[in-house]
Amino acid sequence: MIEAIGLTKEFRVPDPDASAKRRGLFSRRSIPKQAVSDISFTIPEGEFAGFIGPNGAGKSTTIKMLSGILHPTQGEVRLGGINPHRKRKEAARTLGVLFGQRTQLWWDLPLRDSYDILAAMYGLTPERKKDRIEELENLLRLSDFMDTPVRKLSLGQRMRGDLAAAMLHEPSILILDEPTIGLDAASKRDIRSLLRDINERMRTTILLTTHDMDDIEQLCGRVLVISKGKLDYDGGIAQLRARIGLPAVMEVTFRQAESAAAAAGELQSLGDSATEAAGGLHGPEPLSPAAAGIRLKSLEDRTLVLECDLKTSSSVQVLRELEKYGELEDIRMREPEFEDVVHKLY
Amino acid sequence: MNRAEWSRFMTMYRILIRSSFRSRMQYTFNFWVGTAAAAIINAVEFALLAVVLHRFGTIQGWSIAESGYLYAVITLSKAMYRSFASDVHHLEKYLVSGDLDGLLLRPAPVLLILMTQNFSPRFGETLLGASMLAISLGAIFEDDPAIWTAIPLTVLAIASGAVLMFGIGLLTASSGFWLTRIDALQVLTEDAARTAAQYPLTIYPGWLQGLLTGLIPVAFINYMPALYIIRGTHGAWTLGLSVAVSGVMLLLSLKLWKFGLSRYQSTGS
Repeated sequence: MIEAIGLTKEFRVPDPDASAKRRGLFSRRSIPKQAVSDISFTIPEGEFAGFIGPNGAGKSTTIKMLSGILHPTQGEVRLGGINPHRKRKEAARTLGVLFGQRTQLWWDLPLRDSYDILAAMYGLTPERKKDRIEELENLLRLSDFMDTPVRKLSLGQRMRGDLAAAMLHEPSILILDEPTIGLDAASKRDIRSLLRDINERMRTTILLTTHDMDDIEQLCGRVLVISKGKLDYDGGIAQLRARIGLPAVMEVTFRQAESAAAAAGELQSLGDSATEAAGGLHGPEPLSPAAAGIRLKSLEDRTLVLECDLKTSSSVQVLRELEKYGELEDIRMREPEFEDVVHKLY
Repeated sequence: MNRAEWSRFMTMYRILIRSSFRSRMQYTFNFWVGTAAAAIINAVEFALLAVVLHRFGTIQGWSIAESGYLYAVITLSKAMYRSFASDVHHLEKYLVSGDLDGLLLRPAPVLLILMTQNFSPRFGETLLGASMLAISLGAIFEDDPAIWTAIPLTVLAIASGAVLMFGIGLLTASSGFWLTRIDALQVLTEDAARTAAQYPLTIYPGWLQGLLTGLIPVAFINYMPALYIIRGTHGAWTLGLSVAVSGVMLLLSLKLWKFGLSRYQSTGS
């Protein structure tokens, strides 16, 4: 279980108001700036949570406070009930951390040696170490490069090696900072399925940061969004989509080209009048509440591409509206890309 | 900290040092060239001193052998400090890059892990210092049985000196938690002070002697113990005081280190 209670971190930055001349040589005048302010959440045991936000939003700072590296200016962290800032060494045993951008392995030595060193650090008994390494070797398929120096591993191999290093001491909590960064599509898929396995089989609590929204969508039951140092959203992915309310895209094919053209014409004029209304001119009343949520994107032969705001009208309503113009042959719906949803949020 | 924990840390220290050494030995050529270069640089440095001494016979009443003793003790102290705690001197690198993050995640003292990184056994300096020490002691105690007590006392002085240098090094390094860049400060407190202490303190003006005794107490590495061990002009208290100063410096530096660690700011990402 990961608990963050009112986490706040202040850094001192040079005072922008101090005159440039004075700042240059001598002045160390600085003012406090809040990188993270008052963030609270609890991630219960066994949950897989995603932590996202644009660069500079305070994501790294929060992750570093959670893992005990940075001391919060205010607030408290508890990892399985232990405060990592008061009992760093004790908390370290319950926690495994992976930094995708920076390896924790011994660069010049064979991969296997890193595990020997880590086992000594965590005081694993020889039997437990042997069992654990065997287990991870199978799970993460490390056998082929166990005796290769880390500097010669590919990024995908290195990431698997790092993941094993983070898990060697059987932590109940994993914090993964961009575990898929820089990986090709196949390696990403690979890492994702491994992470899902770890979470499901070992009931490990996982907090993951990433810039790849596919990671979040495929792995996390819950997502936390941080923006400008504040927690902006904390909940499920479906609700996040709903809250942002990006339009879904609908492709509707009519049996007859004429019906399509008629529908398109109608929607077009509707769109124009809506724009006029927005411009302050008096226009006709909207035809129906359902039609108001539909926008025409393109017409090609018998197929209309529409954007529908699914908050104002359900897809069934939209279809009923369209059937007035003629018989439908085919419908295809596309949910908005999660990537776009999140961008809207940033 | 209990005994079981300590024995785990010692095992860990040993394994880390061994791994660090093996990493270094991946680049054998670099290692041996570095070792040889360090020995040569130190030898040349002392040769210059020897030329001056030979010309004038003594420096302020200190003979060649006695000056050689001072030089040998501080060289050995430094070699010992840098061998067992090499990257304390390079903390700045960890602060600037944020590499300290990784060390903070382990269930072991951060300082202990830091001490094992980039282990560099100072073979060259140790060899040079030991032979210089042997020659100096041999000349000073020619046919004198007192040499048999001087040897263990010198070993004590070297160890105490290493602890003192470690203390000064760690105090300077810890200030990096606030200042980040500390290389200039290190030149002053570590390099300049040590270079000054390679010569008998009496050659310096009073204020500088005060500085090297009171502020950056490098005089307690070799000069003070030597007053008792080889000169016999002062009592055993000079050696005792030196050990005490080392202990105080060590405690002070550990305190500042601990405080600094709680102020660690890490880097962007």
